[in-house]
Amino acid sequence: MKIKGIKDLVIFLGPPLAILAIFVFYPILGTIIISFLSGSSFTFENYRAVLFETIPLKALIVASPGPYPPWGALVHNAVWIVIAVPAVVLLGMVLAYTLRKIFGSSIVLGIIFLGMVLPGVVSGLIIRFMFDGYIGIFPRIFSLFNIPLLSSTWTIYPETALLALILGSIWLWLGFSVTLYSAGLDSIPSSLIEAALIDGASEREIFTKIIVPQLKPVTIVVTLMTVMWILKIFDIVYVVTGGGPGGASTVLALIMYMYFASALEHNKAAAVAVILAALTLIPAYWYIRMVLSGEKYEE
Amino acid sequence: MAATTKGRKYVYIAAAVIILAIIGVFLYQYLTPPAAPTPPQPAAPTPPQKVKLVVIGPWAGDEAKYFQAVIDEYVKKHPNVEIEYRTMRAEDVAATMPVQFAAGTAPGDVIFGWAWFIAKMGKEGHLVDLTNVINEKEYVPGIVDAVKADGKIWGAPFTMWLKPGFWYRKSFFEKYGLTEPKSYSEFVQLLEKIKGIPGIKNPIATGDGVGWPMSDVTEHFIIAYGGPQMQLDLISGKVRFTDPRVRSVFSDYLVPLLQKGYFSEPIEWTTVIPKWWAGEYALYFMGTWITGMVDDPNDLDFFPLPESKGVVGGADYAFIPKYSKNIDAAIDFIKYLATEGQGVHASVPSGKIPTWTKVPVSQLWKPMQSVYTKITQRGMAILPDLDDSIGGDWQKLFWDQLKLLWVNPGALDSVLKTLEASQPKP
Repeated sequence: MKIKGIKDLVIFLGPPLAILAIFVFYPILGTIIISFLSGSSFTFENYRAVLFETIPLKALIVASPGPYPPWGALVHNAVWIVIAVPAVVLLGMVLAYTLRKIFGSSIVLGIIFLGMVLPGVVSGLIIRFMFDGYIGIFPRIFSLFNIPLLSSTWTIYPETALLALILGSIWLWLGFSVTLYSAGLDSIPSSLIEAALIDGASEREIFTKIIVPQLKPVTIVVTLMTVMWILKIFDIVYVVTGGGPGGASTVLALIMYMYFASALEHNKAAAVAVILAALTLIPAYWYIRMVLSGEKYEE
Repeated sequence: MAATTKGRKYVYIAAAVIILAIIGVFLYQYLTPPAAPTPPQPAAPTPPQKVKLVVIGPWAGDEAKYFQAVIDEYVKKHPNVEIEYRTMRAEDVAATMPVQFAAGTAPGDVIFGWAWFIAKMGKEGHLVDLTNVINEKEYVPGIVDAVKADGKIWGAPFTMWLKPGFWYRKSFFEKYGLTEPKSYSEFVQLLEKIKGIPGIKNPIATGDGVGWPMSDVTEHFIIAYGGPQMQLDLISGKVRFTDPRVRSVFSDYLVPLLQKGYFSEPIEWTTVIPKWWAGEYALYFMGTWITGMVDDPNDLDFFPLPESKGVVGGADYAFIPKYSKNIDAAIDFIKYLATEGQGVHASVPSGKIPTWTKVPVSQLWKPMQSVYTKITQRGMAILPDLDDSIGGDWQKLFWDQLKLLWVNPGALDSVLKTLEASQPKP
């Protein structure tokens, strides 16, 4: 019995463990080791160097010299999270709830979901067009209100480049949010809403006091997944602005690429990758904990 | 229960062994010194057996068609060699090859890349030494220097582009009675005159891409108003970007034009060509490859900034990774590219001129003959490209800071300070 148990373990765990070891553990451990290697010694030098780098296209915290722009990629990622996460959550919830009651909503949902299924490079090009001074919808709208800065191509000005990317990313990620909220809404028992209607609750009260609390698990998932996605974002930034102008729209993953592909400083690139992974692990930890607690609850 | 605990124990032990093994393997691989570079490979005649070469270059579309003409000519004379051409940008070559080289593989036998990248890879022992293949004396002076490291030649120069000045349509100038300027003040007057022409959005179209078109314009101003030596000293780092002489080139000549809106906002460099050709812009600063990208090259002419004593020129360089499986055939092909192949490339509408001095001017494509003649008549020196020569991440920083300057000329001092802070020291 004992031998059979060990045999089963080897048969069932061996192949997946071997694959994981080669394709997951080895690259992860390799990256971590490289990040600590400076010459042939183990130090924190790479981490110190990348955290305190001030060159605009490589700065993580503060870019210097000069006033354009003052912040590095970590701050840009934080700003991105602060703006995009509430927008994705709120818009996703409101749209999912509203569109359920409207005829032909599947077409609107399809357009929203398009952002999710498009390749990053194509999405990036669409964002470029959306904010182009000649043909972009956003500059066109603001030109009606005679706001010069917002009537030009957003992606080429340091004041608006990051904002353009953030707004574009909200569109891209909204499909995910709306899909999850739509599924969440389907799972709310209709008896709850019917009871509220019999008790004389208004539409607003039903939404704020029944729908929103019932969707709390979905909101947590959308929030955590959006935060993780924003931390890892690369493709649209690379295509739309390349982190510029003047480093005004750099993000962590782009800085990692800069070290890796432009500077050919692989140890520093690994250090940025480890920082990025560590930051992503925070929401990932909460997400996994939530999923596991849900499984336990189901048992 | 006890069995489960023991089972877990085995799993933990297995996991620990795997992790330790990975760390061991990794440290062994990473800390083991790389193998010594291979000794120089002598040029060899084309082997008689059938061989296939993979050639990787930056050209796509029409440009690839012009390069294919070079390949076809070679294959005609060497029927035993089959050549497959694949497109890959220099940026991607620099980004992906070092990892592949470190793993001892190469995706091609003859690869085109940036000169600084070739010199770096050669120095690290990943490339075939071409010192015995390239006769430096037969090339435009200084052109081979960019691919030399440790006294060896690691890359073969191919044809050369020039960035000679502002291109315009002859018919547009004739229609509005415009003439080429003879001084900077005449240049400004010309721009002012163009600005008043109906339908013109800006007198000069600014190309954009990853950022290099703006660096080309800037370098032209540096050469014209700082002198050719300033360009060379900026490359070597002897002159810093914060030097008052450099600042005055920007503040006295380039920035005033940006502030007056003579340059357009940066627009993707290929999409702006039809707009410029249609008359939305009158001038466009671009390299000689523009001659092969317009509807009628005979309607095309250019003028450099009047005070300019030099133009930026640069070659495409090819190299052979030492991991190529057909080194002998690759050497024979690269030798052809560096010599007779240049004549073929320059004779088609590639917009290039040969770096191999043995190609007669009469062999050049006709529009390029007149470009070449105009430059030589003015006695202009051919100078290396500033950002291509320095390369690395400084190049990206330069492009990015110029994008900032273009939309925010007031940030000049910040831009120069940023560039100086990362500029290589002599």
